[in-house]
Amino acid sequence: MATETDSSSEEGVDWRSDASAEEMTRRERYGEFYRRMVREPAIIAWSDLRTRVGIIILSVYLLMAALDVFGLWRNPSPNQAPRLLPPFQNWAFPLGTTQSGVDLFALIVDSTPFILLMVLAGGVWATTLAVMVGTVSGYKGGSVDTAITSVSDFFMAIPGLPLVIVLAITFSPENPILLGVILTINYWAGLGRSIRSQVLSIREESYVEASRTMGSSTFRIIVKDVLPNIMPYVMVNFVFAARYTIFASVGLYFIGVLPYTGQNWGVTLNNAYNQGGLFTMQALHWLLVPIVAIVGLALGLILVSQGMDRIFNPRVRTRLSGESESIEGEDDTTAPPGGMV
Amino acid sequence: MSTDTNTDSTRPTATDETTEPDTVVDDPVLEIRDANVTYSDGDTYVLEDVTVDIDRHEVLGIVGESGSGKSMFASALMDAVPDPGLLTGGIRYHPPDGETVDVLELSDEELRKFRWEQISMVFQGAMSSFNPTMEIGTHFTETLKSHDKHVSEGMEFARELLENLYLEPERVLNSYPHELSGGMQQRALIALSMVLDPEVLVMDEPTAALDLLMQRSILGLLEELRDEYDLTIIFITHDLPLVASLADRMAIIYAFQFAEIGERDAIIGDSAHPYTRALLNATPNLDAPLEEMQPIEGEGPAPVNVPSGCRYHPRCPLATEECRTVDPPFAPIDEASDHRTACHHWEEAREEIPLNFGEDAPDAASVDSPRPAAGSTVEDRAVAAGDQALLSLDDIEVHFEEQQGLLDRFRGDPDVVQAVDGIDLDIHEQDLVCLLGESGCGKTTLGKTMIGLQRPTGGTIEYRGHDIWEAKDGNADIPYDEVRQALQIIHQDPGSSLNPNRRIVDILSEPLHHTHPNIGRAERRSRMHSLLERVGMTPAGDFLDRYPHQLSGGEKQRVALARALLMNPDAILADEAISAVDVSLRIEIMDLMLELQSEFHTSFLFISHDLSNARYFAEHGDGRIAVMYLGEIVEIGSAERLIHDPRHPYTEVLRWATPNLDLDAMEADDPPIRDIDVPDPVDPPSGCRFHTRCPVAREACTRDDPELLDVDGGDGKAACFREDPDHEYWESEPLEGAVEHPEEFAER
Amino acid sequence: MNYYLRRTARIPLTVLAVATLSFGLIRLLPGGPFTQLRLQLIRQGVPVEQVNARIEALQNIRPDAPLWQQYLDYLIGVVQLDFGQSISLNQPVAEVVARALPWTVFLVVTSTLLMFAGGVIIGAVQAYWEGSTFDKLASSGSILVMAVPYFIFAVIFLFFLAFQLQLFPTGNAAARDIEAGISLDYFASVIHHAILPIAAFTIGGIGSTALSMRGNGIQVLGQEYVEVARLRGLGDGRIATRYVAQNAILPMYTGLLLLIGFRLGGTVVLEQIFSYPGLGYYLIAAVNANDYPLMMGCFLVITVTLVVAVTIADLTYSFIDPRISTGDADGY
Repeated sequence: MATETDSSSEEGVDWRSDASAEEMTRRERYGEFYRRMVREPAIIAWSDLRTRVGIIILSVYLLMAALDVFGLWRNPSPNQAPRLLPPFQNWAFPLGTTQSGVDLFALIVDSTPFILLMVLAGGVWATTLAVMVGTVSGYKGGSVDTAITSVSDFFMAIPGLPLVIVLAITFSPENPILLGVILTINYWAGLGRSIRSQVLSIREESYVEASRTMGSSTFRIIVKDVLPNIMPYVMVNFVFAARYTIFASVGLYFIGVLPYTGQNWGVTLNNAYNQGGLFTMQALHWLLVPIVAIVGLALGLILVSQGMDRIFNPRVRTRLSGESESIEGEDDTTAPPGGMV
Repeated sequence: MSTDTNTDSTRPTATDETTEPDTVVDDPVLEIRDANVTYSDGDTYVLEDVTVDIDRHEVLGIVGESGSGKSMFASALMDAVPDPGLLTGGIRYHPPDGETVDVLELSDEELRKFRWEQISMVFQGAMSSFNPTMEIGTHFTETLKSHDKHVSEGMEFARELLENLYLEPERVLNSYPHELSGGMQQRALIALSMVLDPEVLVMDEPTAALDLLMQRSILGLLEELRDEYDLTIIFITHDLPLVASLADRMAIIYAFQFAEIGERDAIIGDSAHPYTRALLNATPNLDAPLEEMQPIEGEGPAPVNVPSGCRYHPRCPLATEECRTVDPPFAPIDEASDHRTACHHWEEAREEIPLNFGEDAPDAASVDSPRPAAGSTVEDRAVAAGDQALLSLDDIEVHFEEQQGLLDRFRGDPDVVQAVDGIDLDIHEQDLVCLLGESGCGKTTLGKTMIGLQRPTGGTIEYRGHDIWEAKDGNADIPYDEVRQALQIIHQDPGSSLNPNRRIVDILSEPLHHTHPNIGRAERRSRMHSLLERVGMTPAGDFLDRYPHQLSGGEKQRVALARALLMNPDAILADEAISAVDVSLRIEIMDLMLELQSEFHTSFLFISHDLSNARYFAEHGDGRIAVMYLGEIVEIGSAERLIHDPRHPYTEVLRWATPNLDLDAMEADDPPIRDIDVPDPVDPPSGCRFHTRCPVAREACTRDDPELLDVDGGDGKAACFREDPDHEYWESEPLEGAVEHPEEFAER
Repeated sequence: MNYYLRRTARIPLTVLAVATLSFGLIRLLPGGPFTQLRLQLIRQGVPVEQVNARIEALQNIRPDAPLWQQYLDYLIGVVQLDFGQSISLNQPVAEVVARALPWTVFLVVTSTLLMFAGGVIIGAVQAYWEGSTFDKLASSGSILVMAVPYFIFAVIFLFFLAFQLQLFPTGNAAARDIEAGISLDYFASVIHHAILPIAAFTIGGIGSTALSMRGNGIQVLGQEYVEVARLRGLGDGRIATRYVAQNAILPMYTGLLLLIGFRLGGTVVLEQIFSYPGLGYYLIAAVNANDYPLMMGCFLVITVTLVVAVTIADLTYSFIDPRISTGDADGY
């Protein structure tokens, strides 16, 4: 860039001087990072009732997972308790027991880490792949787009669960992470397509063109300019993918086509269903406990997702962290361009 | 123009002028008394104590800035104030025959009938006024049906209206809104508002989204409609000179109240309110000497904190203690006129605030005196720079494949839009070129091609002698990064030019990341800091940590300018970069850009549809204006020459479309063109592309495309056969509707 | 090339790809595809040397032929709608599938339409009275319903309404003692059997539909053209249908494309719970019986159904929304 004009401007212009240099210490920088990335999102999330409830629910699941990981609750085994004990009767077995005398709470706690890992794996796999596919094909366009779109069209054309069933027979996945990935094996395709269509419109925004004009790389533009705008959407869909993973796994365990060792929520549901849970009221809690566990986790995730819009919205962010107000009339989108005269 | 009943009427002696002020109007169609619109249980006024009469068959122009309550006034006339606003006061409507109607007392069903049959309304965004999933024709028929009108008779009338608006009725009625251009949509909306033959037409910014030529053309049509259908028109706008050409009377709204009302000539030539005078002086127009254009300081107040006393006093140069405490009455200036104003010191205002145009203008001659020939300075610089152009366009062509409509998909080939066709242009070091033209003329495409954002489908573009696209493909001896760094852009819409999710400090770090990848955080910050202060954003430290939504439109454009400058560019494309900024700020930002141009040694490519903005730029920066039409440059030269001696008939049309405040020449006459709409760029006219609209087109124009030739006795070039005295043009027959000389067209 | 032709030409391509995929997957299965059949045939007393010939007769595939030959034979069979012989049911797979397909389509189409209609109505009412008690209750209800998988509804319905209260049958598509045909009894029986699965499947999706309709409705109600229509004196009914409903529903249409796939796949669990003799039911039955020909047949037919459904939805979209001109329904 050693052009003539370049060098001449370097001398004459004062904006290159360090007149107002203000050093920031390393500590201040960490402080700022903490404020931007942790404290502000937390304040915003907590300020919304639904998100707050969601966070509390999810914390309960994390606690249950911790109970199991640190071995703070007994492992489930037959005849460890009286049979078909109703819930909330004996605080040694708070959720009651099954027909074979297994502590239901132990059953739920025992498989919580497995379920959480699987859900996380499914959600992360589906959304990460979808974001990569959607942003690249939407931003790059042309033949890259055509190729990616054709592949995702193909995956969209296969109904999820039947494919998962065939794959499950083939691979017999018992590892929660592998299982999560298989369950959402083609979930990314549809999500990728909708991210692509969003990126198509963001690509036309002036600020993306400005970055392109400055010569920023495609990767940098996607990360800095495109991703932040679709983040709320991505996070909401991460939750939907996670929800789908729970539902699909429980559904397939329930009808007995997924291989398993030991029990989990879906298997418990299956056992309760097939071993008489349907016919008597005495066994109703056996059926309900895994249901509540599943629904609770899904509900917690959905509630948290309801606040994602706000967490990523800079307007909410500035308002809640007490920074200066938005410019007056900024929301007045109907104001004519050109203002006065 | 129509006869003005008001001027001749003698004013009866009024006993109480403040409550019965409009006795000068002898046949009012609407009487508005003490109209208030309040929100939050009466705490916030968005329209306050408005008392005005509207004369039958007059055009009343109402001018106010955004957020001044002018749209609320429009809604109030139809008793359609948006919830939860509360409208109080009196609005009485006098039909031509029959009994007076008290609009605010009407039942829901009566009100439903009253709207559109007696008073109808045209909104700003035609696109958003039509149901996007319904054909235009259905909008007409459903309106007729719901008012129990005879549909086929009504549609006959609708077709007549559309034809009067220079539209093809069948085509328009069978189209969906998105299939029409903005100008066509707006005219279709005007026809829709008149389909029930109303007495009064309320128009709220009906042309704001269109370019100047279309705006002025529509105004000409409105004048005709008013005469033919005996309409009363209330025209609400932020654009004072625009409505001045149409209005009989004008009113100025400031901060939810009328500040001044009177005959059009009195408001323009002899306005009494300091705000009106300031507005007039801030209007860019072709006749005022440039030095006299002055921005208005400050902004209008928000409804929640209206100043005490006179609302204008915080911005008024003449404000006294009286202004700060006592709200001036909206009173007539003298007994014999209907010119009213709300100012304690209107007499001083007339003396202290001279107008910068017309008779008051200090010395209009300075414009006409030849400046140092603009073109030659550029040439000089070119020679100094070693005769190599910064950017050199050679026969540039950009053709797009158009997205196809539903029916087209059954056919084979896609339509090709010839956005830019065969353009040669050299941009020199520290040059300044304004691309001027209507929307759809290809100016933005050409601009983006110039800075290497759009790959041309034909021709070459060179940066300092290196082909940009060869460089991009790695075939030139110059790294593409260098090209990329040298050519920057500032966009039109400040709302989308900055990433809403990044703070200003991050946005400005981006260019430094490219130009100075190795500097430390502190140095980066201080560079941004001093540049922000240079573009007028102080204290810069405050702004650095803000998000874009915390900045005003003008501040966003300053940041965009700073971002472009941090790249150390050789050329900056400013794509309508000031048209979305408040007019009072435009001059300031244009001045800033011009100052920085010399400080940073950059060239500017400035895109505009407004000749007065282009002129300001070109004249101050010693640059050229290139007039574009349908993908071609039809004339290029200094602003000076283009304005005072336009050679191409199209340049003359643009000059006609440019607002001015000259009372003798401002009547809304017919546009000097034979067709209002731009032809389809998919299938441009043969020969000279302008021949379908040109007022002086002749048979020869349909055959050959004129080349850009040096202008005789002036700088620049023009592409018109009239420049060549020996051309066969002069022998051939004028086309249908065309005339011998451009001047005759208006008198036709 | 013409968009419609191109879009339609993609159907066979996708089917071919899916057929190839299922052919490949089956070959990865433990023990290969024909172990089970071979065992069964031998148990039936078929001489060992004739087993391969019998397999060929039953499945159109020579087990000892090279892979590409097997693949070709398989494809030729698929084109002729010959998916081989079901091992467990001892019937041609094509017959089983043809019997099952209408039930699955019936379930999916009915419940999806009901879900869409119900969600749209609830969401529209919510949007119209935004902020009302109903709006708040319905929003909370929608979120709650979204957290419950449809098969949980199925189990709960089955437990209370079928087993405890015995109001509804616990399985099958129609009573066995009523002859299939065009008779009132038969239709009544079909509907009686379908109510629970359809209800479970409908409620499961109604929450998210209502929420998105609510969002779209609120947005459209704020549009200027609705206000202009009101000023033009149009009736409330016309504004509600042609203006608000139409413009709020259109963006949801593309979401429907995706939904069809999930719902078609979801029938696997649903039909299993209600022992409803659709494609999903037979798929699971085939899985449990290691009946690979039936499994592949069901998988292929479910996929083809989805491809056809999505193509139809895709092609009709541009007729429904005049603004779509690229033909590429980018919304999803």
